[in-house]
Amino acid sequence: MQSFLDVLASSSGALLNGLMITIAVSAIAVATGIALGAVFGLALTYGGAVVSFPARMVVDIVRGTPVLVLILACFYMPAGIGLSPGPLTAGAFALAVFCAAHIGETLRGAFLAIPSAQTDAASALGLTFGQTLGYVLVPQAVRQIAPNLVNTAVEIVKASSLLSAIGVGELLLTTQEIIGRSFKTMEFYALAGGLYLAINLVIATGGAWLERRYRLR
Amino acid sequence: MKPILTIRDLVKTFGSHTVLQGINLDVHAGDVVSLIGASGSGKTTLLRCVDLLEQFDAGEIRLDGEPMGYRVEAGRRMRLKGRELARQRSRMGMVFQSFNLFPHLTALRNVMLGLTKVRRLPVAEARSIAEHWLDRVGLAGRRDYYPSAISGGQQQRVAIARALAMEPRLLLLDEVTSALDPELVQEVLVTIRSLAETGTTMLIVTHEMRFARQVSTRTVFMDHGAIVEEGEPAVIFGQPESRRLREFLSSMSQ
Repeated sequence: MQSFLDVLASSSGALLNGLMITIAVSAIAVATGIALGAVFGLALTYGGAVVSFPARMVVDIVRGTPVLVLILACFYMPAGIGLSPGPLTAGAFALAVFCAAHIGETLRGAFLAIPSAQTDAASALGLTFGQTLGYVLVPQAVRQIAPNLVNTAVEIVKASSLLSAIGVGELLLTTQEIIGRSFKTMEFYALAGGLYLAINLVIATGGAWLERRYRLR
Repeated sequence: MKPILTIRDLVKTFGSHTVLQGINLDVHAGDVVSLIGASGSGKTTLLRCVDLLEQFDAGEIRLDGEPMGYRVEAGRRMRLKGRELARQRSRMGMVFQSFNLFPHLTALRNVMLGLTKVRRLPVAEARSIAEHWLDRVGLAGRRDYYPSAISGGQQQRVAIARALAMEPRLLLLDEVTSALDPELVQEVLVTIRSLAETGTTMLIVTHEMRFARQVSTRTVFMDHGAIVEEGEPAVIFGQPESRRLREFLSSMSQ
């Protein structure tokens, strides 16, 4: 029987590959999710009935559905309209939508928390609504949701492990394959857990730094 | 001489409640007009209508002859589009009771925002104008402070600098000392007085009767959404004609 270190040495390439996929798919999901979440947040707050209603539907459906169900739906359902996204595309999309729904809802709360007097002051200066959003409302809302943003990013990294269910070779699936060959169950699950923890500690530390830097004074 | 601001038959309702019932008022260049009256008499609403922060139901507001907020098309009154409203608002300055500085920007950046984004001045020019106005209100040393790091009186002076830097035709002041601690009121009043002395045209809603009497060229008393009496401050405060003004003045002096 091989020792843990022997297995680790022979499978380190695969493990590193899995780790990279986890990081990449999370990064893509968070980046897309922030952009899409900004759209949701603006639509929910300032969209008026016509725009905010569909946004509200999407956000509520996504937030009310388990992430795993969302991932499976994004993987299997497009076949119905003749699309066949790969597991990586479908999975990243599912995580991005999940991320966007949460950010959209948080952003709405942040916008509503800004006193209307801020909009009055901006209007009085002669700023258009677009300028008021860009220079007054969004900067304040972003500072307010910063802690939540870090939280959501951490949630996405953890949720990315669910992509193993549709065969994305990320960290968890890679770990399970190594365990399947080597039977070092405890060791490799512990290692995977440690690696997830490490990614999230990096995110939390980076987030804390950003928060200090851009604190709402 | 033509007035800068003319208000004709201005009517404003909130639901079934008529807040302004046919206001007529002219403000000429260099005028300092103080609006006095009890809470709920419609002073602040009048100011917000002039600054186009509130819609109004009938009547007309003109700035330098230009109808504000609405255009008439085939006999129908239409509210102007956002961009037009923004352009019209940029020609007036407004200072609010609760300062309303932008908390994420330093004092200097608060003053610069309108200069760079509305007047589209180059950053260097905007900076030097903003520095000039902060200096003018006595806050040259506070330009890099965030609003939360300075006192209420200082915040209000920044707000005054922010409004004046836009070179407004008319400065609107809405109870600018009401939210201040008593010991901070004077510094703001001194600033406004110095503006009055240099010919800034102002429409001032205030509860500071002594200040209104000293600083204004004309005083307007409002009650229940209507102008009851107007004239020189010495007359309004010295020989009030109507019973309602006498009652109001005596209630303020208690």
